[in-house]
Amino acid sequence: MYLSRFRVNTGRPAARRLLSSPQALHAAVMSSFPSLLPSDLPAPESPRVLWRLEQKARAEVLLYVVSPDRPDMTHLVEQAGWPAVADPENPGWHTRSYKPFLDRLTTGQHWGFRLTANPVHTIRRTDDEPKKITAHLTPTHQRGWLLDPDRQARCGFRILQKPDSERLLPDSTAPGGAAQGDRHELAVSDMRPLSFDKSRGHDGKRRGKPVTVVTVTFDGRLEVTDPTALRRALTQGIGRARAYGCGLLTLAPINQPPRPTP
Amino acid sequence: MSSSASVLALRLAGPLQSWGASSRFTRRTTETAPTKSGVIGLLAAAAGIDREDDDSLAPLTHLRFGVRIDQPGTLLRDFHTAHHGVTGKSMPLSERYYLADAVFVAAVEGDPALLSRLHTALRNPVYLPFLGRRSCPPAAPLEPHLREHTCLEDVLRDLPWQASPWYRRRHRNHPPGRLTVLREKGADEKNPADTLTDQPLSFSAAHRRHTLRTVVTDAVPVPAAAGEHIPDHDPFTALIDDPELLDGETV
Repeated sequence: MYLSRFRVNTGRPAARRLLSSPQALHAAVMSSFPSLLPSDLPAPESPRVLWRLEQKARAEVLLYVVSPDRPDMTHLVEQAGWPAVADPENPGWHTRSYKPFLDRLTTGQHWGFRLTANPVHTIRRTDDEPKKITAHLTPTHQRGWLLDPDRQARCGFRILQKPDSERLLPDSTAPGGAAQGDRHELAVSDMRPLSFDKSRGHDGKRRGKPVTVVTVTFDGRLEVTDPTALRRALTQGIGRARAYGCGLLTLAPINQPPRPTP
Repeated sequence: MSSSASVLALRLAGPLQSWGASSRFTRRTTETAPTKSGVIGLLAAAAGIDREDDDSLAPLTHLRFGVRIDQPGTLLRDFHTAHHGVTGKSMPLSERYYLADAVFVAAVEGDPALLSRLHTALRNPVYLPFLGRRSCPPAAPLEPHLREHTCLEDVLRDLPWQASPWYRRRHRNHPPGRLTVLREKGADEKNPADTLTDQPLSFSAAHRRHTLRTVVTDAVPVPAAAGEHIPDHDPFTALIDDPELLDGETV
């Protein structure tokens, strides 16, 4: 497995086209793997290509990719990078081996994590209505989606709880379930309702309904409970819309408190 | 100033605040920064000290007080024409002054045990806190923050700038050079000082009494603002930097 990072040159029109469409960006990311054909479907229960966009500042947009094969992002550099300064030593993106890190994961380790995901549930409004996949739209429900004990067990981690001294509200005054309040080391940010056309006909008119995906970014701290399951979550992704920049979980060492003191 | 003291710092922010030190009768003015009586009253209320209970209040009034103006806010005058809720009779016409959209850091220095009790009380207050007047609730938790073995001056210099995001954005290109600090004189300090009648003696409903306290005006450089609480996240820091590992790897 490999972890790669590519910084997007946001000044270029092609970069803006890629950033405006998760579908176009997915196609561009998938083209980084010469051995993959566009018609290949990801095999179930095996590592797959996952990606995520991070905007740190207005002109600092990073693309992270986790992949089973080593990517060649030359075409991305040419379209949306800085091709003139690229040389064989420094091709314009950055790739590192992921396997040693995955092998070092053991039960009980604490990590900081980031995950952009598409939290959804299946509901119907009346008994005779077919069930429909529906996005979670409030931070409380979105937290609840990730805090779901089954999901955490399946992904092999446990989200850490805050020490009492760092909570803003004592437990007794926080109503609702575990997702309520600030009991966990978990922040939800950057909710984006995406809507784009999956395909257009030759006449430029859209076929069918546009794809709508609601993405949010989770930041927090976790404890490894099951390294095998966590490796699976790290290489296969979490949740839906993995082709549209969702589901890539990354870990980083905890070196600073998650929120500054007042 | 002794290093054995603790400091308890609060963030006072709300749509309206009103801190009167000398207002009388129908003209209810406000100072430009929280008063000691207002903040001590807030702490006493959180701890559940009754208005008549001057003995329990006394140790609180001996705390050394200081405040930093992080976002000055604007003065708002309210021409107040209230009517009695039951009888419908008009109440005396009054002018009430408020600070709109201000943010302050208030800090008290003193006995560690007492401050630790007040810190706990603020998280689970007996009477709810308000910013100088009952009609002015805080906009956000006061985020009580307790530091041990330090002094008022250090805490007010080091705490991150608390101004709201919109205020920081507006001043991005022309940041305020320094933040004003208004604090009580230290034990052995010789600086010239003003006085203000906001040293509480009694909050008794029948007869509130205040006396003079010293106010030293200082300025501190603007500390870095607390960043967004989303931490930096660089997944590459967890990986070993060895280019040889890149080649010939299998899944």
